[in-house]
Amino acid sequence: MDNLGELLHGFSIAITLPHLALMVIGVLLGILVGVLPGLGAPNGVSLLLPLTFGMQPVSAIILLSSMYWGALFGGSVTSILFNIPGEPSSVATTFDGYPMARDGRPTTALATAFGSAAFGALIGVILITFLASWVAQVALAFGPAEYFAVYFLAFASFVGMGGAAPIKTIVALAIGFAIAAIGIDTVSGSVRLTMGVDELVKGVNFVVAVMGLFGIGELLVAVEEEFHARAVSSKIEWREVFRAIGRLPRHSVALLRSAAIGCWMGITPGGPTAASFMSYGIARRFSRRGRYFGTGEVEGIISPETADHAAGTSALLPMLSLGIPGSATAAVMMGGLMIWGLNPGPMLFVDQKDFVWGLIASMYVGNIVAVALVLLTVPVFAALMRIPFVIIAPLIVIICVVGAYSVSNSYLDVVMMLGFGIVGYLFKKLFYPLAPLVLAIVIGDKAEDAFRQSMLMSKGSLGIFFANKLVTCLIVAGIALLLLPLVLQLPRLWRKPASAATETTAQETAREKVTI
Amino acid sequence: MISRRALELATAVLTGSFGLTVVVSSLDNGIGWSSAGVEAGTFPFLTGIIIVLGSLYNLVRGVVPAATLASVPIAITSIELRRLAGLFVPAAIFVAAIPLAGMYVASALYIFAVLAIPRRQSVPRALGMAAATALALYVVFERMFQVSLPHGALAAAFGF
Repeated sequence: MDNLGELLHGFSIAITLPHLALMVIGVLLGILVGVLPGLGAPNGVSLLLPLTFGMQPVSAIILLSSMYWGALFGGSVTSILFNIPGEPSSVATTFDGYPMARDGRPTTALATAFGSAAFGALIGVILITFLASWVAQVALAFGPAEYFAVYFLAFASFVGMGGAAPIKTIVALAIGFAIAAIGIDTVSGSVRLTMGVDELVKGVNFVVAVMGLFGIGELLVAVEEEFHARAVSSKIEWREVFRAIGRLPRHSVALLRSAAIGCWMGITPGGPTAASFMSYGIARRFSRRGRYFGTGEVEGIISPETADHAAGTSALLPMLSLGIPGSATAAVMMGGLMIWGLNPGPMLFVDQKDFVWGLIASMYVGNIVAVALVLLTVPVFAALMRIPFVIIAPLIVIICVVGAYSVSNSYLDVVMMLGFGIVGYLFKKLFYPLAPLVLAIVIGDKAEDAFRQSMLMSKGSLGIFFANKLVTCLIVAGIALLLLPLVLQLPRLWRKPASAATETTAQETAREKVTI
Repeated sequence: MISRRALELATAVLTGSFGLTVVVSSLDNGIGWSSAGVEAGTFPFLTGIIIVLGSLYNLVRGVVPAATLASVPIAITSIELRRLAGLFVPAAIFVAAIPLAGMYVASALYIFAVLAIPRRQSVPRALGMAAATALALYVVFERMFQVSLPHGALAAAFGF
């Protein structure tokens, strides 16, 4: 019951006037970036990052995490009212949310979405409250080999469960690693991969990559289809809000199942986007009214929303207790932690109790604040969507340019940001996943250090990764996840011998990945 | 019009050549095992190899007509391409103009150009928005957060 005592202490930190004000600001900014296409939680949080350098770490993380909650909610607003997902993770909400709103029940759709989202977030936070310090305690005993094994498992789970084409995921991950390696090597001190550009010695900052990949890239995808905001009425009938939320317990099976999927996908980095799609797919298969999905079914809104928020929240668990972020936004926040001088990982629970429990307590409060604010401000933000995209787009470009520049006052960063924008567009267009790329940029260095340290300990023998039960389990689980897509392909291969030629090359390449 | 296949190929070539650069330049740092442990180039070298192999696989996947590719033959239509260029080209010119004109002047010109030249907004309104953008940037960054944005070579020549 230590945890509850710590949590109460955390509440005494989170519920102070300045922190409540930060939550309100964070949530409002979050809804704003969530609503605007082209700006999302990852680049919203990284835009805010330079402004937090003067703050106390706990205040800074409350601001950033509140922004994250706001963005998760804001993405659902546009999905339901305009059929435009403001965030990639709320795409699945459009399937049933928009049809329901179009049929004249926008309040029901919004209230159902927010209610189930809050439930998902709550389950995620409860999980963090009870599990995070335990995981951290276990992780305190970790050596470099165990750490590398955990990193390996995290990367492998992107390949096995991320939902994108496995080889594309691997390429995205490897590119992230290579980008992380640019600059001065922390172990030997030598300069790597600068290709003769002196300015690259300081490395490529992840904020620059996030601005380009998510900001410019998403903008380019959005500009392609000239969308007209055919809004349905955005007026909120308060009585219907409570009625819709009151009806939620009837769908408790869907709620619990989606929350479980969300938590799982958040902790093993699959990310909120994959979680919401997976949850929607499973709900459609198992619901008695599965064939009505897509026409405005309640469970079609509940499932993706609950999973989305459960995943978004629980993505902070591995970030806090292991130093491995569970989503792109969590990766950006972790970058922030390192800039504020904190060392993400189990030591946080020993050295920075105020920070950890203040953050966890703020998640409870922040989500309540977010639900209240998002309901109150739906009409305001819906009006924002009526501003023509041609005006918003150049403003977002300027925000990204200034954001990239202000990281380290370097013009090269701005040019690189634009380059990342093109890469982000191509990757989005061709379904290369972006989250693993960002994750690898942020923690690539640490994974490499862990690998090299364990090699030093074992004098170059890979046997250290099978030296004890824990590390063996982690490595084997990672390899199993890497091979999962391949195993799923096998039955199809057997049925279609005609395409066998291409499949065997797939197998070979995949096996090479594992042996390397 | 750009086909899905062409786009897949271009991206695979792009990632592959990045991987190749990584492989070649990590060789300078030395790969393998030395008295000081794993040498600095080893890890980048391996990631480079993975990138190259993965890109080759994606390249082959792009050439061989598979079911997934056949269903979406066209990735970008000519109208979409024009819209993309309409956003990206001005943005690139804006970025290129920053060292000379400075962030404030460049962003004001950028906003004015994209709003007034295609006649999306009347000239006075576009002028107003351009001025407001530059002013907002100045107030937020230079004043509130004390972050100095580049003033540009032109401003320097005039003694700012």
